[in-house]
Amino acid sequence: MMAHIRPVSAVWVGIICLVFSSRLSTMKAASICPNDQTGCHLLPLANLFDRVIQHSARMHGISDDLHSEFELYFLPSKNQIGRVSRNCHTSTILTPNGKENAQRIAREELAEIILKLLVAWRDPLWHFHQSMSQHDEFTNFSSNKSLEMSDMVHELRKGVLKVVEKMQMLGIISNSVGDTGSPEALLTSDSAEWRFMKDYDLLYCFRRDSNKIQNYLKILKCRIVPKHGC
Amino acid sequence: MAVSLSYDLLLLLVISSLDWSSTPGSAFLTDHNRMTSSGRSEKKQQKRERATPVEPHFTECMSRDLETFRCWWSPGTFHNLSSPEELRVFYLKRNSPSSEWKECPEYSHLNRECFFDANHTSIWIPYCLQLRGQNNITYFNEDDCFSVENIVRPDPPVSLNWTLLIVSPSGLSYDVMVSWEPPPSADVSTGWMRIEYEIQYRERNATTWEALETQPHTQQTIYGLQAGTEYEVHIRTKMKGFPKFGDFSDSIFVKVTEIPLRESAVLLTLVLTFGVAGILILIMLIVVSHQQRLMMILLPPVPAPKIKGIDSELLKKGKLEELDFILNGGGLGGLPTYISDYYQDEPWVEFIEVDEEDADCGEKEDQKSSDTQRLLGLPQRSVGCFSADSHPDDDSGRASCYDTDLSEQDTHLLAASLLPGQPEDEEAFLHPDEKAPASETNKSPLIQTESEGKPTWINTDLYAQVSNVMPSGGVVLSPGQQLRIQENTEKESQKKGTLGEDTSKLNKPQFQLLVVDPDGSGYTSEITARQISTPPSSLVPGEGYQTIYPQPMETKPAAPSEPNQSPYILPDSPQTRLFAPVADYTVVQELDTHQSLLLNLPTQQPPPPCLPQHPLKAPVAIGYVTPDLLGNLSS
Repeated sequence: MMAHIRPVSAVWVGIICLVFSSRLSTMKAASICPNDQTGCHLLPLANLFDRVIQHSARMHGISDDLHSEFELYFLPSKNQIGRVSRNCHTSTILTPNGKENAQRIAREELAEIILKLLVAWRDPLWHFHQSMSQHDEFTNFSSNKSLEMSDMVHELRKGVLKVVEKMQMLGIISNSVGDTGSPEALLTSDSAEWRFMKDYDLLYCFRRDSNKIQNYLKILKCRIVPKHGC
Repeated sequence: MAVSLSYDLLLLLVISSLDWSSTPGSAFLTDHNRMTSSGRSEKKQQKRERATPVEPHFTECMSRDLETFRCWWSPGTFHNLSSPEELRVFYLKRNSPSSEWKECPEYSHLNRECFFDANHTSIWIPYCLQLRGQNNITYFNEDDCFSVENIVRPDPPVSLNWTLLIVSPSGLSYDVMVSWEPPPSADVSTGWMRIEYEIQYRERNATTWEALETQPHTQQTIYGLQAGTEYEVHIRTKMKGFPKFGDFSDSIFVKVTEIPLRESAVLLTLVLTFGVAGILILIMLIVVSHQQRLMMILLPPVPAPKIKGIDSELLKKGKLEELDFILNGGGLGGLPTYISDYYQDEPWVEFIEVDEEDADCGEKEDQKSSDTQRLLGLPQRSVGCFSADSHPDDDSGRASCYDTDLSEQDTHLLAASLLPGQPEDEEAFLHPDEKAPASETNKSPLIQTESEGKPTWINTDLYAQVSNVMPSGGVVLSPGQQLRIQENTEKESQKKGTLGEDTSKLNKPQFQLLVVDPDGSGYTSEITARQISTPPSSLVPGEGYQTIYPQPMETKPAAPSEPNQSPYILPDSPQTRLFAPVADYTVVQELDTHQSLLLNLPTQQPPPPCLPQHPLKAPVAIGYVTPDLLGNLSS
């Protein structure tokens, strides 16, 4: 009886493996252009965009939460808006400030701006997280969020680079958008202004910039692959 | 003194903080900030109420589409403001350190509104607004600074409509799909604005609204509405990632009339379902609890004929050598010892036994039948089991009741030769000859002479017991029956279409093998009847079988080492068993009316000359004889 079980079980395992592999293959096939539609080859790019946009939305959400938490804790007596704008270290990056500007700007430039922004926030967020974890009054919840935020900037940058790569591969944008978002290029211009910012200001600035990134990504997507969910 | 000083300081601090935090006409932003800062805004409002003169201030700034925005102000309660035009709005864009205050681009004094069009609107850049009166009095509140994206309240959606999705089987509730269009002012198609919608609904006359989760799609399902009730539904929007909701849309009304209830049908189906489920569960329980019994009933164990002393496991494992040994009489001395052990409790095991002492013949299946005795006209020597003539043996395959003189050993020998084989083929291959009884009768004296006064039961084996069915289809009968051997008259060559038997010397209770040729198989199978006689010590691997030739031939002992082994062998040998020229194979001709097998009795033949040599001296694969060998055999 035992002698029979082994070959039988092996046969069953083999059958199941076959079924799954066939399923996977069909699934894979289904995800890429089942019919030969025009623009179907852009579907993976649209998916990439969606993922990246979702990521940026989440990042913005976290920054929003942290910002409001900060307001709770510190209860700034005044609306800091008036003061803060001068201190954002990313103010030097020229960004389109309206819909028309964002639409008029070239795609490559828009992609570059996004990357610049992401790179600019890498170090500040990391330091922010460090300083947050040292403060005892912050809950673990906040500390986790700051870490998550810091990680997300990394991930988002990688994601955007991938999207850019894909676009370059598809010939949608030129190859001028390289890895210009290297930190070295920016650090020289920034001269680490962010080190002098307060935590609250940092949060405010990042909240604003994350919204910018989210918007730009969405605009870029709808310019390049408009049919897939805009 | 020091105490009073400290007290003064404290008072000063308190007053200054109060002053600092509360400004009359504080900005609209405090009212509309995120909910977490509501505590702060409440505090400020309280302060505001306390301050009696209300200076001109902005009530609200709002953007609908993230491209333009407008601000409203109120003149306050200052008495010196006569006309609304006296107040002027100035704004500052803090996108560079050297920015200046500019005047509102577009006034709407009727509404006290300042409208900023797309050219004057920049997102992500803080705006600060101030009101200026006539004498260049500025009413500026730093709290009135904002970024446009934070003041966005999108318009409500348009073109609401609903469709009925599904009604529950009971007709009491239903689901509705509400769909709409995004607000035209919001530029969703370019992705500039990402809008979420929140549906709220309530019954017509209810006071509180039920809100569903905000989601970005332009349709949503409302589940579980009650039939016959009218519902009011409206939707509002907000920007994803920002907390401010826009106004509610116009309400639509949803109503589905009650479908006449088919209650009885519903109830019936419910009852049926539950009843069936309950019955199924009961059945399952019964089955599970009486598993063993049910298995016995449904799948009864197949009764297999067993040979005393032979473990069927041996056969299963194919250990034919051991089997040969046993059957060769290897357990001749030993068989008796364990026969009873094996099959004591299996009354249906068919044994060829001599039960002279056995008084309870009636219990066992191996009852003595008087048929053979009667047929052969042999004196019935056994006492107990023999029933009168009126007691026919109606069980096919039942062993004949043997005479008491038969020694136990012989019995066992006989029994041992019965291999637990494939009983199902038994009857297919046995063709009892109708003439068997007659021939048997004829041969009975033979046997009698051969045996040492052994009971004549040997001859009376009209019914042979199939000990084994070979894969080639041949049948191995228990070798203890001389008659069977003698029945093997037909030669192999003659018997193409029928079973053939070979008997070796009929007279001599020599070791003979039966070669039964099943229909057209061309093969002969062999069995060694000698197994029974083989002393247990000598194992004859692989050589359990010998062919019985179509002509009566002198069989050779299969085991060269044991010349005297055949239990049946030489009539003059003291070891002559009753199994004298016992045919291992017998042709079963037919079943008689009593459902006993009528075997082909070996025809009476002159004693076959001794075979000089057994051509099959070499071990032959059991069950198969190659044609050339067969020729040798038959020669």
